[in-house]
Amino acid sequence: MATRSARRTGLWLLAAALLLAATALVAMLSEEGGPVPARAAVEFPTQLRGPEYLRMNRRATLPPLPQAGSPAAAPPERKRDPLLWALPPGPAGAVVVFEANALRHSRLGELFLGCLGESEKKDLDELRRMGIDPLKDVDRVAVMPKGLAVSGFFDKVSWDQVFHGFARERYGSESVLYEDPGRGRFAAAVWRSQLIVLGPDPDAVRAAVDRVEGRAPATPPIAEDATYGEVYGVVPGEALRALVPPGTPGDLARRLAEVASRVELHADAMSDVAVTARVSGEDRAALEDLARALGAALAVGRMEARASGERELAELLDHARVARGGEGFSLELALPAELLERWFAGCRDRVGAEPGRPAGEGRP
Amino acid sequence: MSALLVAGDLLREARSRRWTLALAGAVTLALVMVALGLRLEVVDGALAATRLFGGTLDTDIRSVDVALRPLFAATSWLVFFGGTLFGIAAVSDFAPSMLAPGRVEHLLSLPVQRWQLLLGTFLGVEALVLGGALYGGGGMALLLLAKTGVWNPGPVLAAGMAAVAFAPVYAVMLGATLLARSAALSAAAGFLLFLAGVVAGKRDAISPVFKPGAARAMFLMATAPLPRLTPLAEAGADLAQAKPLAVWPLLGFVAGAALFAAAALALAAARFERKDF
Repeated sequence: MATRSARRTGLWLLAAALLLAATALVAMLSEEGGPVPARAAVEFPTQLRGPEYLRMNRRATLPPLPQAGSPAAAPPERKRDPLLWALPPGPAGAVVVFEANALRHSRLGELFLGCLGESEKKDLDELRRMGIDPLKDVDRVAVMPKGLAVSGFFDKVSWDQVFHGFARERYGSESVLYEDPGRGRFAAAVWRSQLIVLGPDPDAVRAAVDRVEGRAPATPPIAEDATYGEVYGVVPGEALRALVPPGTPGDLARRLAEVASRVELHADAMSDVAVTARVSGEDRAALEDLARALGAALAVGRMEARASGERELAELLDHARVARGGEGFSLELALPAELLERWFAGCRDRVGAEPGRPAGEGRP
Repeated sequence: MSALLVAGDLLREARSRRWTLALAGAVTLALVMVALGLRLEVVDGALAATRLFGGTLDTDIRSVDVALRPLFAATSWLVFFGGTLFGIAAVSDFAPSMLAPGRVEHLLSLPVQRWQLLLGTFLGVEALVLGGALYGGGGMALLLLAKTGVWNPGPVLAAGMAAVAFAPVYAVMLGATLLARSAALSAAAGFLLFLAGVVAGKRDAISPVFKPGAARAMFLMATAPLPRLTPLAEAGADLAQAKPLAVWPLLGFVAGAALFAAAALALAAARFERKDF
């Protein structure tokens, strides 16, 4: 009997030893899998940062405008950034500047380029044959109500070839103007092989060149110290009306335009895309109401997205918030890099599956 | 099957001795304290203001379930650590009472093998702890639902994790009782293993404190077979905050806790086989 008990004890001890060894093995294997590393919080653009300050100074190449009647002791004006001065002052619509070169080297840019199909690549090659490599030569692209302004390095471009068939004239001191002689609805101005202004209205193009060359003094709609982020710009209150879908009941569009007289946009896009929309207006109380309404709309939208199983929308709204402070408020939205990658994943697979293209090509 | 009957018998005993009532009362008291201390102002699903014991947590307008994630995480940590420590103290007297003279002889006279008695006691206490943890975690989740309008199952999941973490702890407590029939020794063994499990869960971070060589190797060797309890607590908090979770490592840690509990029970069975009453 004692022997039987001793044998049982031995078996239990053996089982305990084996189980302890199994515990160690399983736990160590699990440790190798490791916990998911904590994700760094998305940082939102709120002011000029060191590299952006240097960038701003580097771009200010135009001499300051002479100030008529100013006392001799007045401090000298800052040099000017040609692209900013080409933008229309007090525009009726949105003015947004894209840091094209920075965006091209951002995560978003890489993902986007990885998704280009054959026809887009042919278009790029066509431009390269004309002497413009959009991926290298274009520095910034500004979208304005009546056209585009593009800054970059265009020394190698034969503009006469690009605008073949257009009427050519020298305009101002350092610009060449090209006008479509047919319908007269397109014009382009090339300034110092550094800046191109394009638009459907030749007078608006001429006005842009006048501002750059100092013949029409006007304050740019985007202040130099607001040139932070990879995308930045301003949207006047009137332009916000366009954001409200037609047929929306009530006078939401009118109220929105009244309350938010100006929205300043900034977006960081090098890794995560973080967008800050700074909303300002005259009526503080109405702005506060708008902030609360937007905050509540985001919260409710997120809950609805969760309830209806729209995971990506819910994840997107996870990083959305209304931050109060100073005059007005900021609406902050973020697209984490991993979410962007998921969005682009399908596109990369489709491109990889194109006939004659090895799978994986085009991947960032 | 016999082990389950023993477990049922333990639960009946717990009810008759009002252990279950005391457990439920203590958990309810904790819930009432949190309910009185938490002040939230929620406007149309957005968080307007949050105050916990008078201190402002956040003033930005944002989705309430996002803004409250730190609170959900804190609740999960509280449920996990508070629940486990409370559980150790609350059940430390169970096994010594079962092995009390008179009762143990009665149990040994039943047609039940000794290891089945041990397993039944373990399962009965685990069921009791799981019930208490789920009551606490579920109560906390309902409390937050009532206060914020947001259902977050984090506290319930953390309670589940606490019950998993309690398995190796109680197995060791049971083994200690077989060495000496003492509630204090049983609780001390439980606290020690819990502490060791927390350290083992962070052993990669702690090991650089030891000099490379024999000291570090000994530390790593000593902590290798221990259950990793910290990752279980972290998993509960991550789930509460809707953070991404690596499923396989978590399952590994759960399996590790279960295997360690089985090992401790096997050691206790070896001792029980040779013990005379």
